[in-house]
Amino acid sequence: MIRRVLSLPAGRIAVGILSVIALLAIFGSALAPQNPFATTSAQLGHISGSHWLGTDYLGRDTLSRLLAGSRASIVGAIEVALIALFVGAIPGILSVYLGRAFEWVTLRLIDTLISLPFLLVAVAVTALLGNGMTVALLVVGVLLGPGFYRVSRAAALSVARSQYVEAAQISGASLSWIVRRHVWSKVLPPISISLANTVGAGFVVVSSLSFLGIGVQPPAPTWGGMLSSDLNYLSYQPWAPVAPAVLIILTVWACNLLADAIRDVSGDAGRAYVNARARRPALLQGGA
Amino acid sequence: MNARAVLEVEDLEVHYGLGRRRRRVLDGVSLTVSGGEAIGLIGETGSGKTTLARAVLGLVPFSRGRVVIDGQDVSKARARQWRDLRRAGVVQYVFQDSLRSLDPDLAVGKSLVEPLLIQGMPRAEADARARAFLDRVHLDADLLGRLPGALSGGQRQRVAVARALVTEPKLIILDEPVSALDSANRVLVLEILKGLRESGIALVFISHDLGSVAGLTDRIAVLYQGELVEVGPTRSIINAPQHVYTRLLIDSAPTLRSAAAKRSERESLRALLHA
Amino acid sequence: MVLSVRDLHIRDQVTGQEIVHGISFELTPGKVVGIVGESGSGKTLTCRAALGILPDQLEVCAGSITLAGHDIAELSVKQWTGLRGSTISAVFQDPSSYLNPSIQVGPQIAEVIRVKKKVRRREARNQVLQLLRSVQLRHPESVYSQYTYELSGGMLQRVLIAAAIAADPEVLIADEATTALDVIVQAEILDLLAELRERTGLALVVVAHDLAVVAQLCDEVLVMRQGDVVEQGTTQDVLYRPQHEYTQLLIAEHEQYGLDRFLNAPELEQA
Repeated sequence: MIRRVLSLPAGRIAVGILSVIALLAIFGSALAPQNPFATTSAQLGHISGSHWLGTDYLGRDTLSRLLAGSRASIVGAIEVALIALFVGAIPGILSVYLGRAFEWVTLRLIDTLISLPFLLVAVAVTALLGNGMTVALLVVGVLLGPGFYRVSRAAALSVARSQYVEAAQISGASLSWIVRRHVWSKVLPPISISLANTVGAGFVVVSSLSFLGIGVQPPAPTWGGMLSSDLNYLSYQPWAPVAPAVLIILTVWACNLLADAIRDVSGDAGRAYVNARARRPALLQGGA
Repeated sequence: MNARAVLEVEDLEVHYGLGRRRRRVLDGVSLTVSGGEAIGLIGETGSGKTTLARAVLGLVPFSRGRVVIDGQDVSKARARQWRDLRRAGVVQYVFQDSLRSLDPDLAVGKSLVEPLLIQGMPRAEADARARAFLDRVHLDADLLGRLPGALSGGQRQRVAVARALVTEPKLIILDEPVSALDSANRVLVLEILKGLRESGIALVFISHDLGSVAGLTDRIAVLYQGELVEVGPTRSIINAPQHVYTRLLIDSAPTLRSAAAKRSERESLRALLHA
Repeated sequence: MVLSVRDLHIRDQVTGQEIVHGISFELTPGKVVGIVGESGSGKTLTCRAALGILPDQLEVCAGSITLAGHDIAELSVKQWTGLRGSTISAVFQDPSSYLNPSIQVGPQIAEVIRVKKKVRRREARNQVLQLLRSVQLRHPESVYSQYTYELSGGMLQRVLIAAAIAADPEVLIADEATTALDVIVQAEILDLLAELRERTGLALVVVAHDLAVVAQLCDEVLVMRQGDVVEQGTTQDVLYRPQHEYTQLLIAEHEQYGLDRFLNAPELEQA
């Protein structure tokens, strides 16, 4: 599947951007030219040789803060996505196999969660339980779980009741054979699409929360937090919010682009894609 | 022709649903099929034909009765016994809709060898073995790399038939195998099935299309509302049906030359049946 | 003459390709014409042209269709609405998709009657019950208040036939009307159509992919293949003296894998 995604231009762009962002997350702090916490007297300074993106209201180097702050946002987004994945996908797949009672209970829970507006709930919970990003992330992760539940349940359902699985059963296939050979390839793409989209959503959430000042321990830099403070000093540095805003938008866009690329090479669209390629004689081996 | 029974069904009863919604879909059905024999199972929707097939294959539990496949009694079989029997490749099944019975994301070549791979055969040997069957279904080897969606209905159905052959089964159950095909493909597949019968395989041919049943089978069993109302040689069933339902079924089947003339007969049979 | 199709050609405006290459037949009251062909043969498009419901991208590029004296090429939308139902009507393959699943079936037919015959609600209901009886539904009152999901395929098709003949049309087109039905039910519907024709003088166009279905009911048969009419004649001629090899193939298939060769029934008199 990865190969197929990379064969699409959209896929390459998305993976490219996200790889850069990922690198920033890992090496961000090390790459920062200056100490992101070091305040100087050059407050709200312009772009210069030593400050490529200028300085903020405390004279700290903007570029360094951006680089250093990348980790928090990105790691947060990934945490949210992974929590949502576990909370949603596992019950989703199990609900198809574990019988009516389990199915009913999980469906009702999911219905409840879907009805909650996740950002407001996150804010409310942190207001109640204190200013911790971890708690907020956990809450948002759980609230984004239903998306995974629905997607993985739908995929598992369509496979479980399919005739090709029955055909394999008639030939004596074990459950693990069926999962490996038939179920996996049907369930992985929709979950990957959801994952990509949820990372994007998680990113928006994390940035929004830090924008609102939640979960931030100042003076630690975050993109959302920087955006927020930049807006306070807009009259002095009208161009300042551009950098963090662009980074946020670019990351979310790349996530959604990746999701679309995966969608284009899986399911019905994917089969059309494989058929088209199979018509070229060099690529006669079909299948995932 | 091997006269030993490949399939014996005795007094089979199947129920669906729980509690108050429980209803009987098969009632006291008994049937025997020998090697090299093709038996047609006819009846309308809801008669229980597919349920019978699924019960014989172990996909649906039955509440009473006996099923013996190639001498092995599977009436009380548990998962392990079923798995071993299935892996021995004695019984196979061809579904009605080849589009749904082949994994849409796997090249048809891979679906074709699946039964052999499940048996534990190494990939190379399985591929070679499977290719030997392509001839019997008049399929070209270069179709094997395509996905099911890229093949025509007739080609797909032939892949499904080939898949049912690779383990060299003694019994093949086919559920409406030609219903979705156009004339030419229908005849082609029926001819292939005739060849299978001649090579000693037992066939259970489920269909609502009396025409194809008439052309292919040695005996016909008629199912009506879960009960086997008549069984006999094909010729007798078609020329001299006894039961009201069978008579109505035969009279209702579209024929080129005699259907119009039988209208009044059909009307009286309908009245009899609904009485 | 109720319906006259003369050398009809249908073309795809987008690709410029001609899809139907000339079909002609005439319907008089009580006459049944059958069109046999596989999917893509053009039989359904011909019907749609006669009903004035060709998809937007297709057009009649040659030939004409005359319905009750009017050339359909000159009909306005309003005129068409007047003709449909009361002059020409149709039933298709999947009955449940032509009825609203959230309304009882009776009122849906009643609506057709109220609009077409301009009668009051009560009178419309009575007419519907009568219609349901005439299509051999045994309990019209209970069918009237049932929903589509409660009715079997055969019953639904009867309901649709009832709706189709509600405004007393002169022509009824049955496009694969029995294809999705079980054998016994299919025969019931075909017998019903035969009875309607005898009783009311209804003219029928029966479209199927099975030659036997057509042979059962029709006076004249057209065999279509990829837009061409490869054979046309009386049922007797087509069955006993087929000219084109495709027709011969269809007949041979029936004889090879059909009931005909087994049945000892007396053959129909040859004309």
